[in-house]
Amino acid sequence: MKLIEALKLARRPVPETARETKIFLACGFTPLHLQAFLTAEMRVRMPEYRITINTGLFGDLCGNIERIDPNGIDFLAVVVEWGDFDPRLALRTLGGWRPSQMGDILESATRTAARLKSGLTAASHSVPTIVCMPTLPLPPMFSCSPAQAGAAETQLRHIAASLALSLSQESGIRVVNGQALDEVSPLNGRYDLKSDVLTGFPYTLPHASAIGEALSTLIQNRPPKKGLITDLDDTLWSGILGEVGVERISWHLDAHTQMHGLYQQFLASLSGVGVLIGVASKNDSAVVEQAFTRKDLLLSKDDVFPIEVHWSRKSESVERILKAWNIGADSVIFIDDSPMEVAEVKTAFPEMECLAFPKNDYDEFWKLLRHLREVFGKSMLTADDAIRLRSIRDASAWRDASQSRKNSHDDFLKAAEACVFFESAQPDGDARAFELLNKTNQFNLNGKRFSESEWRSFVKDPAAFVLTVSYKDKFGLLGKIAVILGRTSGRVAHVSGWVMSCRAFSRRIEHQCLKYLFETLEADEITLDYQLTPRNGPLQEFLTELLGETPGETVRLSKEQFASKLPPLFHRLEGIVHV
Amino acid sequence: MSDQENRLIRCFESVFPGLSAEEIRGTGAQSEGIWDSLAAVTLAAVIQEEFNLDIDPEILPELNSFEAFRSYLTRMIPETVNGNS
Repeated sequence: MKLIEALKLARRPVPETARETKIFLACGFTPLHLQAFLTAEMRVRMPEYRITINTGLFGDLCGNIERIDPNGIDFLAVVVEWGDFDPRLALRTLGGWRPSQMGDILESATRTAARLKSGLTAASHSVPTIVCMPTLPLPPMFSCSPAQAGAAETQLRHIAASLALSLSQESGIRVVNGQALDEVSPLNGRYDLKSDVLTGFPYTLPHASAIGEALSTLIQNRPPKKGLITDLDDTLWSGILGEVGVERISWHLDAHTQMHGLYQQFLASLSGVGVLIGVASKNDSAVVEQAFTRKDLLLSKDDVFPIEVHWSRKSESVERILKAWNIGADSVIFIDDSPMEVAEVKTAFPEMECLAFPKNDYDEFWKLLRHLREVFGKSMLTADDAIRLRSIRDASAWRDASQSRKNSHDDFLKAAEACVFFESAQPDGDARAFELLNKTNQFNLNGKRFSESEWRSFVKDPAAFVLTVSYKDKFGLLGKIAVILGRTSGRVAHVSGWVMSCRAFSRRIEHQCLKYLFETLEADEITLDYQLTPRNGPLQEFLTELLGETPGETVRLSKEQFASKLPPLFHRLEGIVHV
Repeated sequence: MSDQENRLIRCFESVFPGLSAEEIRGTGAQSEGIWDSLAAVTLAAVIQEEFNLDIDPEILPELNSFEAFRSYLTRMIPETVNGNS
């Protein structure tokens, strides 16, 4: 982005209704054009927000971080440069570069790194924090030629890398990936000595633009896609299974089909972080079953659900897979080597990203893997990511058993041996609860989405309650499936948010949630900030059943009214918490 | 109006968004409340990027009005007959 475009974007009018997002940009140099680029990138990524960027004092990065009032900002963006570790590493300071001073510079850099770690960790407990580690070349101050990595220079890089490592392990901190920045901003085009000396701004405009983009990407933290549906023949493996047989399909170097092995390996890694992997293949199901028994497959059958194998249209398979996963087509990527199949699925699901597997094009294959990592990348993993596929399988088994039952629904629920766990959300914001609140559509009280900072503030509010609900039964573990939040006032509990995963429907968990609130909060009445959305029909049906009428905007439910409508509950309660 | 002058006006507009083209032509360091040091540095950066120039810091203080920039550009990038630089 050019500076002139950034300035225009930054000043584009904002809708009256826009919510304000405050970013504190902390850096040791004068932020000048970086502020303009960051504002512009944020306006592009979050047009529904009014972006305000404040900055601190020039030359005092640590102090700026330590003085931050986290309650007054929504995000902290920190840009570290070598001069922040020790002023002698910057070119505006004349402090000496004698070899005898290197030891002192290294000691000073180590102390500053510890101070930055402490300040950033403390800030990140209150506000989402994005950090960009030094991106400029070190000055030519070392005794070795620039071609050689000397001990002092390597030690400095080690100090910065150690700091980046420890920061990247903090749940509230996201560190800009230097490799991604290297790809868009070559090292020799980053530093502007004239600008640094004359104005205190060290970056060339293209590099400032690249940093603004990198920071805004991590601030926005776009939710990842949830599922990938793949073809088998000439995609997951090389060869047409029905023609060459199980033994002749391949994905190895010696058969020159390594990229299919890499693709399997990649899908297995996605599965490991909770991305749903499904198969849609026109094939003989018995032969596919046999193919999945091959021990050298890098993607296990256990990593995949459902496997749709038949001779019907691919779009029919995709429809069934989406139903089993119960997620929208816009959250899924479809991959097939046949452009015709890609087009057929795209026509049926225009909102789905449908990609052709580039079976003979290594460059395109490399781009595909990178693109998939970009759309499925998660800033952090939760415990529920690891059990997501199992949970969906278990929910499917539950549905099958429920539909084929011979006795009453009550008897079925009783025999399910269900346990419900209530917990207060973790003080650091509870990433899984945050994810549920921002992605659940069907059982959602009002469709309200939370920004990271709004969510953290709510969790920390002593007047608020934020409960998470987990579930398991004899069919398996569903994990954390619901979140309820609100405030109490006397003997009234005001519920302002309530979501539940569709996997958990038909088990009366929603009834258990209200019962739990009445009992634990000793409430006589619960009010719910209900709002009809285009997709929250199941929640509306539940409330209609309880109230005996279609709910209005604020729903009031007395203890007696609820008791009169409460069906038998068979859950065992565990992890009781007092909210 | 030449293409170069149009581009220069667009640069000024990005830094002084409230001003009309006519007002921009009369803008300079004497324009109170508008032309501060931040605006001057930003304007120089925008113009250097737009015209692919490297302005000598020695003469930067002299570039203190629209007219000064216009004549500087005319000297540095003479326009071709069809109006493009």
